[in-house]
Amino acid sequence: MTRTASIAALIAASLTTAPIAFASDLTVNVEGIAQAQGSIMLGLFDEATYNGDGAVNGANLKVDGDSVSVTFEGLEPGEYAVRLYHDLNDDGEMNTNPFGMPTEPFAFSNDAKGRFGPAKWDAAKFSLSADGTTHTIKMN
Amino acid sequence: MDLSRRHFMEAGLGASLAGAVGVGFGLPASAETQNMPAWHLGYQNAPAGGFEPTPMKLVFGKAPSDLKGSLYRNGPSQLNYGDEYASHWFDGDGMIHRIAIEDGQAVHQARFVETRKRREEQAAQTFLAPGFGTLGDESYAVESPDDTNAANTSVLVVNGELLALWEAGSAFSMDAETLETKGPKTWRDDLKGMPFLAHPKVEPDGRVWNLAVGGPRVGIYRIGANGALEDFGMVNIGRAAYIHDWTMSERHLIILVQPWINETFIPPVVAGFEWQPQHGLQMLIVDKDDFSNQRWVQAPPRMFYHTGSAWEESDGTIKFDAAFYKEPVLGVDGGTAEIRGEWSGEYATEEGVLTLVEIPPQGDAKLIETALIGEFPQVDPRYRGKHRNLVALASGASTTRPGSTALAVHNWTSGESQSFEFGHSRMVEEFLFVPKQGGQSDLDSWLVGPVLNIKSGVREICVFDAAHVSDGPVCIWQADYAWPLGFHGTWA
Repeated sequence: MTRTASIAALIAASLTTAPIAFASDLTVNVEGIAQAQGSIMLGLFDEATYNGDGAVNGANLKVDGDSVSVTFEGLEPGEYAVRLYHDLNDDGEMNTNPFGMPTEPFAFSNDAKGRFGPAKWDAAKFSLSADGTTHTIKMN
Repeated sequence: MDLSRRHFMEAGLGASLAGAVGVGFGLPASAETQNMPAWHLGYQNAPAGGFEPTPMKLVFGKAPSDLKGSLYRNGPSQLNYGDEYASHWFDGDGMIHRIAIEDGQAVHQARFVETRKRREEQAAQTFLAPGFGTLGDESYAVESPDDTNAANTSVLVVNGELLALWEAGSAFSMDAETLETKGPKTWRDDLKGMPFLAHPKVEPDGRVWNLAVGGPRVGIYRIGANGALEDFGMVNIGRAAYIHDWTMSERHLIILVQPWINETFIPPVVAGFEWQPQHGLQMLIVDKDDFSNQRWVQAPPRMFYHTGSAWEESDGTIKFDAAFYKEPVLGVDGGTAEIRGEWSGEYATEEGVLTLVEIPPQGDAKLIETALIGEFPQVDPRYRGKHRNLVALASGASTTRPGSTALAVHNWTSGESQSFEFGHSRMVEEFLFVPKQGGQSDLDSWLVGPVLNIKSGVREICVFDAAHVSDGPVCIWQADYAWPLGFHGTWA
């Protein structure tokens, strides 16, 4: 019953920003947010950081409607993935029930889903081209 | 057993309808079910759209005038897609039945619980979700226990809200009139997705107690008669025992830690069980007013699914009844053969034994076995947690088919048992106590429950007088169709 508990830990630990100056811009749209409150806590990862503690970049996005958007500028073109959760009560943590299951909504890029754990890198990764990329994640 | 009554049941009632109503009537007959034995009707899929409200016909006796309410029941009702069969009885999608009884009339209706598992498997017309006996399809995402929730085990009505119960995920809220699915029940925001066992204990005043089991960690729900969560606490039971049911007295919760251990609980769950009889059956007794006030009690090793209810004597001795097995049953093969229409007769030697557990104020528990075999023990809801006389069981066994053949009642006060043997033609399920109007004890109760008439291929709802079970049914309503075997119900 604790199989997805690690999702909370991984996302929560990931939101340290480490901007690197490169040419490409990535816009991430998050749509289908059920509750207009709190913040979307979003972490951007490359393959090296996806299963670790640090993110390539991140954003805390105030929610006042059913969507939010963020643009990361100057990224190196390549493969990335997003993990996010909706911090409904703005306590800065991904809340869990007593058995460690997330009680706040979460999502991954490509709308990837996990199976007894977070979505795998191969399912969540997408390409950021040199011309820039817009990636949309639908919460549900 | 009343032979003349049984003769009627077997020859009269059955034969008169056998010609008119073929086996499989009401269920979608398919090529792969046509060569099945008659009893396999209990394992065939219910219609995907459920059953619209349909009056049942009173075919025997006179309906009690004071019997008014609804029998809600739940059970796995999708056990195959074509020639692909479920790996375990516990993995079929739950269907909620309502038999509304009033003014001598009984009306049946039913709907599947629309879980995610149900929706996606219906769309794909194949099994996808992992489960108790099922590995599941690798492509099926599982991000919470409710992604595998079959909502197929029992029902609870609290403050008018109907809930479909499973044991490893949330209860599902249903419309008590239309049986439409509303969605998973969250008792409190921080408890979203917590398991809610299929055997909540309801005090006579309507307060509900239940457990959330996650390996050795067990959560305790206390829910008011108004449906609001009053308290939630955690206790540790030391090892990852399989907990399907538990019991409760007026002052204590009694958590039975049977030596049937599953450390992983990874689908297929059944593959992770280990019988460790060296631990015996241990019981954690928890004070309802202070969850930290606990006591452990030791008993000889037993496996169980179901308890009746507990009570406390004036000297502090706790007593409860349960159907105990000497070693694990059902979990291992989960009725896999029966789902496919195969029957070896092995269950005839593996019946549960109605057992009284006596827990003295100090020292080990004592087990007192009766001569009664059976399952689905039930007590009068007015006496849950309190001293009472009766426990009812689906009893009897057949050498030619799975399932019970009789309804039995044991009186702990007199030490006497009564039973009514339906014979091979009826598969007997759980019977519930319904208090008679103005009754003074649990002897003043009706027993209401379903049987599957495999001779005529139809369903029947039977009513007995709890004090005179061996006299046979007081009345029987019959549907002109069948629905699959189920697990548990409630009366509301």
